[in-house]
Amino acid sequence: MKTKFSGIFTLFLALVVQISFAQTKTISGTVTDDNGAPLPGVNIVVKGTTTGTQTDFDGLYSIEASTGDVLTFSYIGFGDEEVTIGSSTTVDVQLKAGESLEEVVVTALGIKRDKKALGYATQQVDGSEVSDVPTQNFVNSLSGKVAGLKITNTGTLGGSSNVVIRGNSSLTGNNQALFVIDGTPVGNENNNRSGQSTGGGGYDYGNAASDINPDDIASINVLKGAAATALYGARAANGAIIIETKKGSKNKGIGIAVTSSLMMSDVNKETLPTYQDQYGAGYGAYYASEDGYFNLSDIDGDGNLDETTPFTEDASFGAAFDPNRMVYQWNSLYPQLDTYQQATPWVAARHTPNDIWKTGYTSINSVALDGGTDVSSFRVSATHFNQEGNLPNSNIKRNTIKFSGSHDFTDKFSAQTNVTFTKTDGKGRYGTGYSAQNIMQQFRQWSQTNVDVYEQRDAYFATRENITWNPNGPNDLSPIYSDNPYWVLYENYETDTRNRYFGNINLNYEISDVFSVLGRFTFDTYEELQEERINVGSADVAKYSRFNNRAAEYNYDLILNFNKDITDDLNLDGNLGVNLRRNERNYILASTNGGLNAPGFYALSNSASPMNPPDEYEMKRMLDGVYARAGVGYLNTYFVEGTIRRDRSSTLPMENNTFYYPSVSTSVLLSNVIEANWLNFAKLRANYAEVGNDTSPYRVFNTYSISAPFDGAGWASNNSQLANPDLKPERMKSYEFGLEGNILDRRIGFDVSYYNSKTENQITPVPVSTATGFTSKLLNAGTIENKGVEVSLRLNPIRTEDFSWNMNINWSKNKSSVLELTDGINNLQLGSFQGGVSINAAPGQPYGAIRGTAYVYDTDGNRVITDAGYYETTPNANYIIGNIQPDWTGGVSNTFDYKNLSLSFLIDVQQGGDVFSLDTWYGFATGLYDQSVGTNDLGNPIRNTIANGGGVILDGVQGDVSYNDDGTYVVSNTSANTVRARTDYYGNPYGYGRDANEGHVYDASFVKLREASLTYSFGKKVLDVVPFTRGSISIIGRNLWIIHKNIPYSDPEAGLSSGNIQGYQSGAYPTMREIGASLKLNF
Amino acid sequence: MKKYIVALTALVFFWSCQSDEDYENLNRDPKNPTEVSSEFLFTAATVSLSDNMASPNVNDGLYRFLSQYWTTTTYLDEPNYNLSSRQNPDNVWSELYRDVIFDIQDAKKIVAANTELEQSEINARLGQLEVIEVYAWSVLVDTFGDVPYSQAIQADEFPLPEYDDDMAIYEDLIARLGSVNAMLSAGTGYTSADAIYGGDMDLWIKFSNSLRLRLGMRISDVNATLSQATVEAAVAAGVFTSNDDNATVVYQSNDPNTNPLWVDLVQSGRSDFLASATIVDYMNELEDPRREAYFDENLEDGYVGGVYGGSNNYSSYTHIGDPFLDPTREGILIDYAEVEFNLASAAELTYSVGGTGESHYNAAVTASIEYWGFADTVAEDYLAQTDVTYDGTSEQLAKQFWIAMFDNPFQGWSVWRKFDAPELAIPEEYETPVPLRFTYPVDEQNLNVDNYINASSAIGGDDQQTPVFWDVN
Repeated sequence: MKTKFSGIFTLFLALVVQISFAQTKTISGTVTDDNGAPLPGVNIVVKGTTTGTQTDFDGLYSIEASTGDVLTFSYIGFGDEEVTIGSSTTVDVQLKAGESLEEVVVTALGIKRDKKALGYATQQVDGSEVSDVPTQNFVNSLSGKVAGLKITNTGTLGGSSNVVIRGNSSLTGNNQALFVIDGTPVGNENNNRSGQSTGGGGYDYGNAASDINPDDIASINVLKGAAATALYGARAANGAIIIETKKGSKNKGIGIAVTSSLMMSDVNKETLPTYQDQYGAGYGAYYASEDGYFNLSDIDGDGNLDETTPFTEDASFGAAFDPNRMVYQWNSLYPQLDTYQQATPWVAARHTPNDIWKTGYTSINSVALDGGTDVSSFRVSATHFNQEGNLPNSNIKRNTIKFSGSHDFTDKFSAQTNVTFTKTDGKGRYGTGYSAQNIMQQFRQWSQTNVDVYEQRDAYFATRENITWNPNGPNDLSPIYSDNPYWVLYENYETDTRNRYFGNINLNYEISDVFSVLGRFTFDTYEELQEERINVGSADVAKYSRFNNRAAEYNYDLILNFNKDITDDLNLDGNLGVNLRRNERNYILASTNGGLNAPGFYALSNSASPMNPPDEYEMKRMLDGVYARAGVGYLNTYFVEGTIRRDRSSTLPMENNTFYYPSVSTSVLLSNVIEANWLNFAKLRANYAEVGNDTSPYRVFNTYSISAPFDGAGWASNNSQLANPDLKPERMKSYEFGLEGNILDRRIGFDVSYYNSKTENQITPVPVSTATGFTSKLLNAGTIENKGVEVSLRLNPIRTEDFSWNMNINWSKNKSSVLELTDGINNLQLGSFQGGVSINAAPGQPYGAIRGTAYVYDTDGNRVITDAGYYETTPNANYIIGNIQPDWTGGVSNTFDYKNLSLSFLIDVQQGGDVFSLDTWYGFATGLYDQSVGTNDLGNPIRNTIANGGGVILDGVQGDVSYNDDGTYVVSNTSANTVRARTDYYGNPYGYGRDANEGHVYDASFVKLREASLTYSFGKKVLDVVPFTRGSISIIGRNLWIIHKNIPYSDPEAGLSSGNIQGYQSGAYPTMREIGASLKLNF
Repeated sequence: MKKYIVALTALVFFWSCQSDEDYENLNRDPKNPTEVSSEFLFTAATVSLSDNMASPNVNDGLYRFLSQYWTTTTYLDEPNYNLSSRQNPDNVWSELYRDVIFDIQDAKKIVAANTELEQSEINARLGQLEVIEVYAWSVLVDTFGDVPYSQAIQADEFPLPEYDDDMAIYEDLIARLGSVNAMLSAGTGYTSADAIYGGDMDLWIKFSNSLRLRLGMRISDVNATLSQATVEAAVAAGVFTSNDDNATVVYQSNDPNTNPLWVDLVQSGRSDFLASATIVDYMNELEDPRREAYFDENLEDGYVGGVYGGSNNYSSYTHIGDPFLDPTREGILIDYAEVEFNLASAAELTYSVGGTGESHYNAAVTASIEYWGFADTVAEDYLAQTDVTYDGTSEQLAKQFWIAMFDNPFQGWSVWRKFDAPELAIPEEYETPVPLRFTYPVDEQNLNVDNYINASSAIGGDDQQTPVFWDVN
C-alpha cells in the first residue's frame, strides 16, 4: 500500500508542475471597525476559492491573490466587504458593525438569506471541520459540534450513523435528518436487510450520506426546527443538514488543491472484554471424566479413554487450569494438524480473542482544480478513499468525482450545475448482531478461554478449512455452534458496491431588479449490489444471496423570487414556488436454498435445493407542493416572515391526500435598539410552525403475501398489518425562542434556543390483540413531544499578536415524551430482541423505553433474594428497566493558535441514556469475563462448589413477594440474606440463567476526546521557495481517549445500525483509535 | 419574461392535472395482490397448523418438552418450562389466530362469493375449511383455557376482543362439527390445494368425526352427557378405521416445506435435543419395540434418556431416531391409534361405541406399532407382556396412549393432563412443574388489559398451574 500511496502522490506532483500558474502577489493591509479600532480574527478569503487567512491581533493580514481576484472580508456581527484586487498590494478595509450584518446562510430550498433576518435557529459548520480530521462518513465529524444534533455511530467498518436533530419526532417513521447538497436532497437511508436493526444478524452497509466527500464540502448549515425547514414540506419534520460544496470562481487562473491524509487505527482495549484466565471449557461439572469436567474418548488410538475438552460447550465454567494436566483439546482432533492425537497442557490461551485485531489504516487523497473566466467558472475534484479494516480481509474503497460549473449566458441569464459520481466498494464488513457471521458473538458471549486464537488462525491458514474449536465431537468434526473465526472472516464475507450519481442543473433569470426566477432539476440515484456468502462447512447452512437495489429521487423546482425596498426603511422579499418530487425504488433479494453444491462457488445456480422465489419490491411515489414565503424587514431591525405550503401525496388515501401547513417567524436585532458598548450584536427570535407529513407507500390497501408453493399448491397469507383507507396526514406543531449575540468585544458569542414540538396524528401501526388475526392496525394515533434547550458559546479568552485561544461549547438537552398512543393502548413495541428485552414507546415515558425482567425490591430499595440465594426477578419481561434517551449531550472544542501552529481538540460528552448488553447477559453466564472469578467473603474462590466454600452471598434481603394483577408487588417478612448462591456453573446469579435483564442495562454516559489535531501552516519564507502558494501539514487523531464511561468491556456508543432502534448491544465491536497525518497544498 | 411565465404556468398546469386516481394508483403494491383465490389460503392455513403441531423449535409450542418425550443438552430454559424468555405463548397464539384461523375465515368469505363454483362445491370447500378451523380453535382452548372466540378476527370492530368461556367454545365447536358432515358430503371440495387428503371427501368426513371424538372425550369428566352424545354421534358417523385414514400433512424435501423437525434436528447442524429419560425409562421397562423407531441406537448399551431438564452431555445419551430426521416425514393431526385410544376410554365409560375397552386398547397399541413399520406379530408379542396386557386401569391406558403419541406431542401432553398419568418428572435445573396450560401472551397482558384480567379471574388465575376446564382431576 505504501508504494501505491506514494505513487499517487508523485503523480499529483508531476501533474502540478505541468501547469502554468496564474500570477499571484501578496496583498496585505489592516482591517478596522467603524471606529478605526483594529479587528482581529477577521476572515479573508479569495472569493470562490478556499484560499483564506485571518487578521492578527493588530488587524493585519497578508494573502496571496491575483489581480482581478475579489477578497471577501467577513466578521461575525459586521457586514461583509468585498474588494477587487487592482494594482495595489495594500488593501485596508473598514467593516461596518451591526447595521448591515450580511452573514449569508443557505436555508431551505437553497434560498440564501441574511442570517440576521432569520427567526429560527441554524448553526453553521465550516467545511474544514469535517475534512481536517477525516472519517469514512463525514457525518461522524459533526458529533459534538452542533447543539441539538445527535450522531451515533455503531463502530463497525463503514457502519451507519444515526443522525437525529432535536429528538425523535415520529414513533415508527423516519427520524433521520434530511441531507441537501447544493439544493439536491440526497437520501441517507440504510439498506440493511430486515432484522439487522433488531440484532438478527446481517451486515451494516452504512448509510448513504457517506457517499458525500468531505473534501468537497465548503460549509454545512444545520436547520434545526420545523420553521427552518417548513418549505421542504412533508419531509421537514426531522430538521435538515444543508451542505454547500466548493465552487470555482470567475476571473481566476487554474488553481490546484491537493490534500492527502493517512491514519492508522488500533483497537481501544477498554472497549473489549477482559477474559478470566483461571478456568477452561465447560458449563459445569457434569461430563464423563471423574471430576466431571472432561469428556472421555480414545483420541490417540491406544485403546484407552482420554480426557478431552467438552468440545461442544461454548462456555468457560470448566476445570481450573493446571499446566500439569494433559488434555486432548480441539487441535488433537484434526488429522490435518501437526498436533493430531496429541494432548496439550490445560492452560489459558496465550492469545485471547483480543489479539485478533490488527492495525488498520485509512488513506484519503484528493486533488481539485478550479478556475474561471469572466463569465464562467468550474471546479473539478477527484478523491480516493481507502480504508483497511482492523479485522483481516476487510476494506472499503470509495472514489468520488465531482464537477461544478457556472456560466453567464447574459447579464441576466445564468446556469449552474453540480454533478457528483461516487463509487463505493466494500468487502468484509463486520457481521452484526446474534449471528455466527459476527465473530464478536463467540468472543463476547460463547467461547472457551483455553482456545488460542492464533492457533485457530494457523489451523485455518494451514488447511483453509473450518478447523473449529467447537466441533460436534471427536467423531463428527462439523461445527456445532461456532466456526473458526478466521474461517468466518475469509470464507463467509460479504462484498458490496454502490454507484451513485447526484446533482442538479439550475437556470437563473433576473427578470428585473425585483424579480428573478430559478428553475432547478435535481437528481439522486444509486444502484447497489450486496452479496453475502456462507461457505460449505460452516455452522450455518451454506448460502449465497444477492440484493440488487435501486433508488432514485427527482425534484423539479420552479421558484419565483422577489426582493424590493418599498421605502428606505421597509424591505419586502419572498418566493413563490412549485416542487414536484418523484421517488422510485425497486429491489430483488435472491438466495440459494438448502446449501451450496460446489463449495466456494457463489452463484444462484449453485443452490443445493430449488430456489424459493426472491423477494421483490417495487415502489413509486410522488409528492407535489406549492409554496409561498414572504418576509418584511423594517429599519433593518425588525423582521417577520411567513410561509405556507400545500402538499399532495400519493401515499395517502385520495380523500385526504392534500394538506396545508404554515409557519411564521420573527426576529429583532436588539443591538440596534439597545445602545451599549459591551454589546456588539444581539438578536431575539421566535417562531411557530406546523408541518404536515405523509407516510410510506402501500399502507392504504390490504394485500396478501405470496410465498413458495407447497407441493405445487399456491400459498398466500394475510398480512399481519391492517391497512387503513382513512389515513390522514401527520402533523407537527412547534414553537421556538432564541437569543444570539456577541458581547465584550466579540470575545463571547452565544446562541440559546428553547423549542417545543409536538407531533400528532402520527401514522402508527398500533398493536392490536393478535386474536384479531393482525398484529397491528394503521391508525392516526400517538403524540410525541420534544422540548429542549440548546446553547452554543464561542469564547475567545486569549487574543494576542502571536497567540489566540478559541473555544466552542455546544450543549443541548432534549426531553422527549410519548404523550399518548391511542385509547386502550399503553405500549408500542419498536423492536424486540434476543434476551427478552424490547425497545418501546410508552405513554408518559421518553421515547425508547427498555423493557425486560427487573429485580424485585423491598421498600428500602434492597434487592429481594430467593431462598436459593439468587435474585428474585419479575415474572415477565414487561418492566421498564431503562431508556435510550440521554439527559444531555455536549461538546467542547478548543483551538490554540501560535504563529503558524494550531492545536485543536474536541471533547464530546453524553450524560445518561441506557444500553442493554446481550454480551454480558450471555457472557456472564458462560464464565468468559474476569467478573466470574475471584474470592468470596470466606476468602475462597467463588468458583468452588458451595460444599467447598465457594459461591457468593448476594447483596439483598430474603423476603416474601406477592404480585398484583397489574404487575406491582408487595414484599414482606424481609431479613438479611445469608444464603450463598452457586457461582461455579452457568446457572450463576449474574448471567441469563438467573439474572434479571435489568442487571445488564448500563448507563451509556461518556466523555471522549473525539478529535485532536496539530497543524503547521507553511510560512512566507517557505512558500517563497516552494512551488505552492499555501500549505499545511497536520498530525490528526480521532477517538483517542474515552475519558469516562460506565459500561464495562465496550463502548457505550456501540450498537447495531442507524434508525429508531438504539440502546442494544449484541456482539459489539470495539472502538478504534485513529492517529495520522495530513498534508494540504494549494498551487 | 413572457416565456418564463408561460413555463411557470405550464408547470403548474402539469402539476395540477395529475388526477387523484393517478396518485392513488401509485399506492397499489404491484408485487403483493389485493385478491387471491381461497385455495392459496387453505393450503397455507393447513400447513401452518401442521407446522405448529410438529415444530420442536424452542420458540414455538414446546409440546415435545411438555410431554417430556425430548429434553435438551445445554440450554435449559425451555425444558424447564420458562415460557417467558422466548414468549412461547405469544408465538403459539399468533400462529393459530393469524396464520390459521384468520386465513381460513378469509378463505370462507372468498369461496362463498365465488360465482364460478356450484353451491355444492362451495359447501364442500367450506366444510374442509371448517374442520381445520375447529381443529385450531380446540388447540387454542386446550392450551390457554378461555380465549377470544366470538369477537375474534374482527380487527375493525373488536381490536381488543373479549374472551369466551372455554366450555362454551367447546360446545360450539362440537356443534359445528355436528353440521360439517353435510357440507363435506355435498360435492367436490378442494383437491390439489388439500394438503391432507388431496380432495378425498370420505376421508374428510372421517377426519371431522375423529376430531369430534377427540373433543367429546376431552370433556368426559366435566360434561358427561354432552361427552357421550358427541362421542356416540361421531362414532356412528364414522371415525378412522386404519392408519390409511390418518390425517397427516406430508412434507416436502426442500426448505421451506420440510417437516419442522428436520429444520431443528438436521439443518441446524446443532446437537441440542435428546430423548428424555422420562419416556426412555418407561419404554425400557416395557421393552417397547418402538424404541427402535423413536430413538437412535447411538449408545453401545441400549437406550439412556437425558435427565429431564438437566444439563446433559450429548454423546452420553440417546438421540432422536432416524424417522424424525427425514425432511419429508409427515406431520400428524390425528392418527388411528389416537382414535382407538379414545374409543377404549369411551368404552370404559360405557359409551356405546362398539367393542370393549380391551378391544380398542389392543387395536390402538397395534395401530401405533404398525404405524412405525413393525409387523403385527410384534404388536401381539408386546400386548402379551404382563405390563402391557390390558388391565382396565386408566393408568395403563394413559401410559400406552402417551407412548403412542410420541410424534403428536400436543396429544401426549393432553393425555397426561386428562389422565394425570403417566408420572412425569420435575425438571432438574429450575424445578418448574409441568404446566397445565400456557399463560396468556405478554402482548395480551399489555394490550388487552381489561379482557385479560376478566379472563384470568374467570379461569382461576393466569398461571401455568391453572388447569383448563376439562382437566378436573
